[in-house]
Order: sequence, then structure tokens, then C-alpha cells
Amino acid sequence: MSELPVVLIVEDNPRNLKLARDVLEYAGFCVLVATTGEDAVEQARTSLPDVILMDLQLPGIDGFAALELIRDHEPTAHIPIVALTAFAMHRDRERALVSGFAGYLEKPISVREFPAQVRRHLPRREAPEP
Amino acid sequence: MSGFEETGDEAVGGAHQLADRLATTQEQLRATSDILKVLTASTTGGAASRDEVFDAVVDSARRLLGAQVAQIYLVQDDSFVLARSSGLTPEFVDFVSQHPIVRDRATLVGRVTIDRRVHQIEDVLADPDYRRTDFQRVGGYRTMMGAPMVVGDQVVGALNVWRTQVAPFDEAAEELLSTFAEQAALALRHVELFSALESRSAELARKVDQLEALAEVGEAISSTLVADEVLATIVSHAVELSDTDGGSLMEFDEATGLFRVRTAYGTSEYVIDALRAAEIHIDRTWVGRAARGRRVLQIPDLDAAPGPLDPHLAVLHGSGWRSLVAIPLVRPDRVVGALVVRRKSTGSFSDETCELLAAFASQSAVALTNARLYQQLEQQSVALAEASQHKSEFLASMSHELRTPLNAVIGFSEVLLERMFGDLNERQEDYLQDIHSAGRHLLALLGDILDLSKIEAGRMELDLTTFPIDDILVQALSLVRERAALHGIRLTLEASNELGLVTADELRLKQVLLNLLSNAVKFTPDGGSIVVRAWRDGEEVGVTVTDTGIGIAPADQERIFDSFQQGERTASSSEGTGLGLTLSRRIVELHGGRLWLTSTPGEGSTFGISVPQPDADREAGGDVWTVDGDDVDGPTVVVIEDDPRSAELVELHLRAAGLRPVAASTGEQGLDLVRAQDPVAVVLDIHLPGMDGWEVLTELKNDPATADVPVVVVSVEPERGRGFALGATEYLVKPVSGEHLLAAVTRLLPPPRADEQSPRLRVVVVDDDPLALKLVRSTLEPLGWEVHTCAGGQQAADLVRAVAPSVVVIDLLMPHVDGFAVIDELRPHRDSDGPPIVVLTAKSLTPQDRSRLEGRIAFVAEKAGIDLPGLARRLATVAAEHVREGEGP
Repeated sequence: MSELPVVLIVEDNPRNLKLARDVLEYAGFCVLVATTGEDAVEQARTSLPDVILMDLQLPGIDGFAALELIRDHEPTAHIPIVALTAFAMHRDRERALVSGFAGYLEKPISVREFPAQVRRHLPRREAPEP
Repeated sequence: MSGFEETGDEAVGGAHQLADRLATTQEQLRATSDILKVLTASTTGGAASRDEVFDAVVDSARRLLGAQVAQIYLVQDDSFVLARSSGLTPEFVDFVSQHPIVRDRATLVGRVTIDRRVHQIEDVLADPDYRRTDFQRVGGYRTMMGAPMVVGDQVVGALNVWRTQVAPFDEAAEELLSTFAEQAALALRHVELFSALESRSAELARKVDQLEALAEVGEAISSTLVADEVLATIVSHAVELSDTDGGSLMEFDEATGLFRVRTAYGTSEYVIDALRAAEIHIDRTWVGRAARGRRVLQIPDLDAAPGPLDPHLAVLHGSGWRSLVAIPLVRPDRVVGALVVRRKSTGSFSDETCELLAAFASQSAVALTNARLYQQLEQQSVALAEASQHKSEFLASMSHELRTPLNAVIGFSEVLLERMFGDLNERQEDYLQDIHSAGRHLLALLGDILDLSKIEAGRMELDLTTFPIDDILVQALSLVRERAALHGIRLTLEASNELGLVTADELRLKQVLLNLLSNAVKFTPDGGSIVVRAWRDGEEVGVTVTDTGIGIAPADQERIFDSFQQGERTASSSEGTGLGLTLSRRIVELHGGRLWLTSTPGEGSTFGISVPQPDADREAGGDVWTVDGDDVDGPTVVVIEDDPRSAELVELHLRAAGLRPVAASTGEQGLDLVRAQDPVAVVLDIHLPGMDGWEVLTELKNDPATADVPVVVVSVEPERGRGFALGATEYLVKPVSGEHLLAAVTRLLPPPRADEQSPRLRVVVVDDDPLALKLVRSTLEPLGWEVHTCAGGQQAADLVRAVAPSVVVIDLLMPHVDGFAVIDELRPHRDSDGPPIVVLTAKSLTPQDRSRLEGRIAFVAEKAGIDLPGLARRLATVAAEHVREGEGP
């Protein structure tokens, strides 16, 4: 019933999870959290969030594997997944985008711009639903 | 006068006598000249020609002296041997050979050689001192005469004539005999000289061989560090020159005290293995004894060697080796190994051979030592590379680990500063600002450290693109403008109008400019000024940043480029990382440019950078699109290039053109590939290890099987003339742009299969992304397409109608008029006429999208991970169908 956009944050570091959650909640998102790749896939299937923010380095299956699993499941295949990572190498961005991430946000996040960066990946509400 | 008034008889008798004497003299002269002829004709030297002369001498002497026998005896030690004779019976010759003649006064030849003058015995039977009556009984002679043969000051023999009745020789005969003896001696001398000369030149030739071999070995040592090659050369030469059957070179390991066979020649694998398995200890083997004693040892016969054989000798003996020499390799006072040469036969080795081997041994010692040093060096560099790899990995992971908590530090301080959860008092805000900027500072430091480590590990790759340099100047200036204004610093840009495009890593170059600008702002007192000048000068683009700051003392001018050195700075702001200038300089150097500084303390500083732009007139730089295309099955092009990065670049461009590149890193490998793959063209680098590009080109052109394959030479050397002279079809000087290379290669290709009469395939590409347009163009144009582009949806339909292409490529997501709208206009219905439409998009199509497009487009290609050659092929198929249907132009 809520009209708030739903975001699933997948992050294993509790402080960073808290930061992202607090900032997005403040900015008017409904925030779901997962701390492992498996958890993320499960949450995506049960809650069908509008957008997923995914850390790439996760315990268990990593962000790339989780992305594959979410993509391979028809009901969740369309959900845009944005990489959120502290990978510092130049090539990482390319790798993420080639793998099918919809976007790439580098940590540390900029609190001021973060909500808008996430909102950009939300599917357009005004698009006609079938 | 009275002499002429002799009586007639007397006169007649005198005339007869004269005539006789004349005849005799003439005959003597003839004989002498015969001998001389033989002498001079005998150019072959040796005993054969000596005997020829001796024969002429004894024959002439016997005849002219009216003797029954003439013989030449040669002195040998204290006795005589009969060399040649004339008129002797075989019995006598036999008798002489069995009864030696001692050199004493008992015989005529003895007296002749002792006194060194002619002797005559008028009747040997009447001479009480003549003792060899045994000879007399066999030979039956009575009168005999002999003359000494003298060479130099040595009596070497005697010429001896005899008569079987008592008839003494006259004075003339005595003289004649002396002459003949001289001639015989001369022949002997001649022969001696000749054979001396011969052996001397043989020796010289041998010496030359040896020197050549040594030189070859020396050359091998200096020209290659591949130790085993050098050592194998040494052993094979040592074996060949010492005329032995095989040999081995052993390396000595000080730690274990063992010799190990490093390389062997003329020795079966089986024996080498056995030698390697044997424990050859320096204190318990014969080779070890040679090494310990620092001397050459030899065993002429292994069978006769005393006592049990040591493990080394046992192996050799067991495999049939019978004699050997060991030469220790010592350098300079350490045993480094041993050289052993051996024969299957028994026999000792001459001093000369040993000497020669010693020379080889000293060369081998050098080679072994070099090899060892090289090996150490190699191990060290592997260790270094590993360490450096670890360092980079450590830094990368450290950077990641530090970023994670920094994210919280910076983020939460920002949350509070944004007052998301309530207001702050002044002091709280102040402290939060401190936390925040400290976090940012740490982050910047982290980035710089990572960059620097990447550069130092040679891992920083420049992402080269071509862009207007004005853009980054303006951007960098705008980033510091606020801070400059805060301090009342005037910031001006003086740029020439012809700056144009530069090819560089845009982000990195901006990083450098920003670093120079923020330094300038930082060190310029309030109210000062900063001037940025940019210029282009031929093949160079430069930027200088001049401030009116505190300046830098000459002593510090170089030091400030070192990490964490900031010169004599005021202790005020410390927001820099201390790595900025170091990093900037390295980045500029990576671009092939330089960063410099001029400064006067108290007046200000100027930092300048210049970046070379060799292809100033080139409109576009190297694209960095990655192309998947390992499965391209187009025509093959062999790429012979030893630098992997250059090869990769060439391959990328070739693949993008639908060609199948096959790479070879050496000339030899390249030749093999050309012969095996029958390529449509060869791209050839000139600088290659081993066989260079010129040789490859020559070989390709000389081989009828490959002579027709066109060759594109790509070289740093501008030797166009030489290239064409050797048969190159195209000659490109590095650095070569992708377009130039492709153009050159495509010119060489056989004309496209499409009929010459049929029009070229024509495509209209509609996309708002200029990079996508460029990419499609650079893919299709080399394949013979006529490419028209359109940057937006508005004019697309008009362009398509005007150009009447064979196919249209459209992006879906475009501002204003999007791809859907264009398709609606071009193809309102499924069965509307018009060129086929292909969608090239970054958008993931929704089921709605697909149903909307269904039946109106040929296919959809996604931009992510695009396979350009594949796209080109599919476009060609679609376009060809359209043209065949007669609907096209």
C-alpha cells in the first residue's frame, strides 16, 4: 500500500549498512537489508524491491553471483541492481557494468548525492503497466 | 806465341784431348743441370723428391766418373744408412742393411764425414786401416773415393763411388764428385726446408683453427646468456679440436662437493644420465683430484688404471671409453667445474692437446661463472617481481579495507552536517567538519598511494582518448576557482586558439592540472595571482601554471618531487597528500612528456607540463572499446610482433574489421604461421628477437609459396625505402593509428565478393552517442560500407529517405525523438516498404518494447559486450537480402 520506493541494501559491514539505510530512509525510501548474497537473493524473491544496492564483496556468494541468481529468476530478472563497492581499481567499474549491473556507486558515498544516485535507477512510475 | 808453334801431331793430339775434355765437361754440365732440374722441379717436397735427386746424383756420378757403383750414405746417430745407390747388387744392399757401418776411420765414408773432405783409397786391399773387408768381399771393389755432404755446418752424409779394379780417380773426378755431393746435400736441405715449411704451415693452420674455435666460444659467451648453449659450444669445439670422441662439462657445487654433468658431446643420452646419477665427489674421484690439484690429468688406458675405478670412471669404462683428460675449471681461485674429453681408444694426449684444452677450460670457467651469476640474477628478479606483486596486492586490499571504515566516518559526519537528525551548535559543526575533512584527506592519500604503487609496479595503464584540451583546463580551473576567490587570488587562463585535440588519458591529465592548480592556490598569499598558459607547438602540447607565491629555494626544487616532500612550506594548510607532485610527474612521464619547475623564492613558481602529440593532424585517437571476437572466422592475417601490447592492439583492430589475426612473437614462428595458414596479409614488426623483420620479409619474398602474400611493415624506423625495396606492400611508421592500419590492411585484401557493378552497401546509423557512431563507422567503413550518421531522431527519417540505405541502425534511447518514434515513422506497419531496421541499444528491452517492435525490425543488438564483427556480418546479411529483393538502391 506504501507508495515509497523499496530499496534492498546488500552489505556485510554493519556500519556501512546502517549509514546507507539511515540516509535512504531519511530520503524517503523503504529500506530492506541483507548481509549475505544468499540472503539478498531470498529477499529479492520474497519482497520484489524496486532497486537493489549490492556490495560486491560479500561472505558466501559474492555480488556477481548474487546478481546472476536474481537475473536468472524471471520475477526478479527486471530489478535494476546497482553495485556499491569500495573496490578501488579502475577496471572494477568496467567489470561490474559488463556483468550487468545497472550502475556503479563507489564508497565512500556522498551522503548528499546518494539518494538521488539511487533514485535514478528506479523504474519510471509513469510507465504504463500492462 | 810458342804455344802455337807446336808440331802438327802434337797439335792434332792436343785438339783431340781438347775435344774430349769439352765433351766431358759438356756431359758433366748436362748431368749437373739434370740434377738441378730435378731439384727445382721437385716442388712437392718430401722424401720422394729427395730420392729423385739422389738417384740423378748417383747415376750421373757413376757414369761420369767411370765407376761401377755410386752410393749415398746418410749419417744417422753414430752410424750410416744407405740412402740411394747406382750399380749395386741386391745382395750388397741387403748386406749393408744387416751390417751397420759405424762412423769411424775403419771405412771410407767414416773418414770422409769425420774429416769433412774428399778421401780416396787407391786399393782397399792394400790399406791396413780399412777394416770392412766383409763389405769388400761382397762388393768386390778395389779403388774407392768419397765426398762429404754438408748442410749448413753439419755433415749429413757422403757420396761414395768405387771401381772393381785398382784404378785411382783423377783430380777432375775428385772435383766432380764434390760437386755431386754438394748437389745431393742441397737436395736434402731443400727437402728439409720444404717439410719444415709444410709442418709449419700445418701448425699455423691448426693454430688458426684453434683460435677460431676459441673466438667462436668467446663470442658465444658474450652473445648469449643461455649458459647451456655456450657450454655445449665449448664442449663440442674442445672435442673436435682435440681429435677425441666425446667430452663433458661438469659444474662443481661447493655446498655438496659434487660435480654434476652440465652438458656433454659425443655421448649417448644413456651415458649422460648415468654420469648425472653418479656421485662425483671432489675428494673421492680422479676428476676431483685434477680440480683439487689445479692441473690437467690424463689416463691413457682406463683398463690399466690401478685400483678400483671411481664412480665417474666406472661409468665411462662401462660404456667403452678408454682414455681421457680432465682439465679443472678454476675461477679465480675457486673450482667451478671440470672439462673432460675422452676417446674410445687408448693412448696418451699430447702436451699441445692439453694446452689447447686448458685454453677452452678457462673460457668455460668464465661461461659457467656468468651462467651462475645470470641464474642468481634471474632468481632475484623473480623474487623481486613477486615482492612487487605482493606489494601491489597488499596495497589494493589495504585500500579496500581502509575505504570501508572511511565510508562510515565520512558518511556519518555528512549525515550530521546535513542536519538530517537535528541541528548542531557551532562547535559541534566545527568538530564534524574536522572529522569529515580528515576522512577526506585520508581518502585522497589512499588514492594517491594506490596510483603511485600502480605506476611503480608498471601497472598503471593509460586510458587514451582524444579530446579538446580546453575542456579539462576549464574543468580544472573551475574546481579551484572558489578557493582562489576565497583568498582573493586572481585566476586567469591564457590559451592559444590552436590547442585543438590531444590524445591522452583525460582523467589523469586533469588530475595533474588540478594538482598543479591547487598547489598554486595553496602557496599563493591572499591577493596574489595565478596565470595558466596553454600552447601547442608542433608535436607538443604544453601547460604552465605560474603563481606569485612564496617560491621554492633552488635546493628544494628537485626534492619536492620526492614523496612527502613539500619544501620549506608554511605550516598552515596541510590538506595535500604529499604525493601529488610525485604522482603528477610520473603520470606526465607515462605520457612520454615531462613536468618541470622554475622558481624564484619570494617571487613565485612556474610548473609546466608538456605532452608529445606525434599525430597532431589525426582526428581520432585509439578507441578503448573491448571487442569480443575470438571466434571471428574471417580471412587470416598473420601478425608478427614481439611486444604483446602492440600485438594486442593490432589484433583488436583487425578483429574489428572482421579479420582473423594470428599472432607470432618471433620471426621464425611468423614464417611458420604464414606457411601453414596462407594468410591474406602479414603485419610485420621490424624489431624482433633473433631473426629481425627485414630477414623475415626477405625470406617471405624469396619463397615462391609466400612471395605473393602482401606484407604491411609496421616499424618505429622510418626506412620506407628499404621496406619497399625488400618487397613490402605497405610501410607504416609507429605509432600507427587504428584507422591507418586498417586502411592499409584493407587495401591489400581481395576486393569484396559483392559484384563490382552492384552499389556499395549503405547504412544510416542513428544514435545520440558520438562514440557509438564512431565505433559503427570505424567497423563498417573498412569493410566497404558507405556510412551515414545522424545524432538524433528528428532528422533521421529525412536522412533515410535521402540516402536510401540498405539498412538502418537505430538507438532506442535518445533525447527528444526516441528510436521508437523514428521506427514508427519509417515503418508505420509491419509490411511497410523501406530498408530493414536494426536496433542497437543499451536499453534492456521489456516484453512491451519487444511486442511494440515485433515484425518491424530485423534484429536487436545490445551495446553491452557488443560483438562488432558479428554485428557487421549480420548487418551485411540483412542488407544483402534487402538489395536482392530489389527494394534497395
